[in-house]
Amino acid sequence: MMGRMLLRRLAPLLACIGLLVVWQVAALAINNDSFPTAIGAIRAVPDILGDKESLINILASLRRMAIGFGTAVAISIPLGLLMGRSRVVASFFNPLLMVIYPVPKAALMPIIMLWLGVGDLSKTLVIFLGVSLPVIYHSFEGAKAVEEKMLWSAAAMGLSATQRLVRIVLPAALPEILTGCRTGLVLALITMITSEMIARQSGAGNILFNALDMGQYDTVFAMIIIVGAMGIGLDAAFERIRARLVRWSEPQFDIPLSFS
Amino acid sequence: MSRAATSDILIGLIPIVLSIAVWQGIVSFGYAPPTLLPPPTLVFARLAQQLMTDTFQQDILATLFRLFAGFAIAVVLGIGIGLAAAASPTINALVRPIVRVLAPLPKVALYPALLLLLGFGHGSKITLVAADALFPILLSTYYGASTVEQKLVWSALAAGTPRHQTLFKVVLPAAMPSILTGCRIGLVISCIVVFLAEMITSTDGLGHVLVTAARTFQAVDMFVPLITISLLGLILNGALEALRSYLLRGFPEA
Repeated sequence: MMGRMLLRRLAPLLACIGLLVVWQVAALAINNDSFPTAIGAIRAVPDILGDKESLINILASLRRMAIGFGTAVAISIPLGLLMGRSRVVASFFNPLLMVIYPVPKAALMPIIMLWLGVGDLSKTLVIFLGVSLPVIYHSFEGAKAVEEKMLWSAAAMGLSATQRLVRIVLPAALPEILTGCRTGLVLALITMITSEMIARQSGAGNILFNALDMGQYDTVFAMIIIVGAMGIGLDAAFERIRARLVRWSEPQFDIPLSFS
Repeated sequence: MSRAATSDILIGLIPIVLSIAVWQGIVSFGYAPPTLLPPPTLVFARLAQQLMTDTFQQDILATLFRLFAGFAIAVVLGIGIGLAAAASPTINALVRPIVRVLAPLPKVALYPALLLLLGFGHGSKITLVAADALFPILLSTYYGASTVEQKLVWSALAAGTPRHQTLFKVVLPAAMPSILTGCRIGLVISCIVVFLAEMITSTDGLGHVLVTAARTFQAVDMFVPLITISLLGLILNGALEALRSYLLRGFPEA
């Protein structure tokens, strides 16, 4: 029993190692200059993290991501909850969101750059746009599924509409909201990389694509490892928080369900 | 169509009309120079004009080809692996940790690697689209298939269906609503990713049109591909919705 638990815990780690081994073997088999081995790429990781300038760049990326993600969550959750509870609000915003959804947010970057410049503001705004849609959508779905009886009881006990939204709808929709936030977190990372790739000025995406242009393949693959590790690490950290916040809800899937 | 639905559509049109009006207003009252924000009339006229030209149609076709190729691969692999993982504990144990690691990985970061391995042609873009669209489809297939009511499978077995056929005759149809939800998410992602891939490196496609316009600071031409991809997304979404209501015609209100 203990062994099985341990195996479960270690499974993702084993998968990581397995993938790296596959990479190593493939690289040795192909034996191409532009495709370094896994070991070669991992060796380049400390060089990048040790370099002060790239470290500052990566941290600046993370800062933009945190700000964009934070504001997006703060605005999207109330909006989504309102949409879920009010039919008028829902039909007001739904078509607009449907039109915006298939537009790649990072593709707005060139236009936003024209207006706001290449600085932090444009990149944070793009991240904000990318994160908000899934969070709105999941909050909406979560709020729609709240049991009416609970709201009636709350109304009978004299809670005002705002109080009901905060004390009944928000906790009841929390599992779904957090699913949306988790999707948003990965999207924030993706948008961060692409926005920096388009506005080549600073950040992790800049390092990655500059290395590609200059043919420093070790750096390219090392950056892929770093960005990938950021994604997996952030996701795992978020999962911890989620499990703690919604401990009362039914045990959910340990893998994210929607990845938009 | 019922009256409530009609009024819903009308309410929904308000913000779209309003934002276009505000857009026009900003330009008309001179808050933004037309070089930065061209008036909507100009943009839509340009869109109509571009849609008639051969080169733009070629770009749309190139984008659509990559989108569909990648999406199709993702659908086949996603449903296949998802069903297999739900049906067999061994495959499940193997697939689950790999998915757990790969799903939160930002796939765009893999694009440089794909470029180096597969070259600058269709291959790398299609692979990126497939890699990004795969996981939502795989996960929702797995979710749908593993929550199929056991009674349905038992009844089928009792009625004499061979065990290996229950997968296609019972589990797959029962998981269909969930699978289609995954496909819908995957489709939107495909739209987004194909555009991004074309923006990074390409010689044709809608993303390339945007980048070329951005390099020459043609604001009007920057809006055209963006509106086009949004329209494409809406049309594809509508088509998938129609397919959904056809496939799920026997389901109670799915």
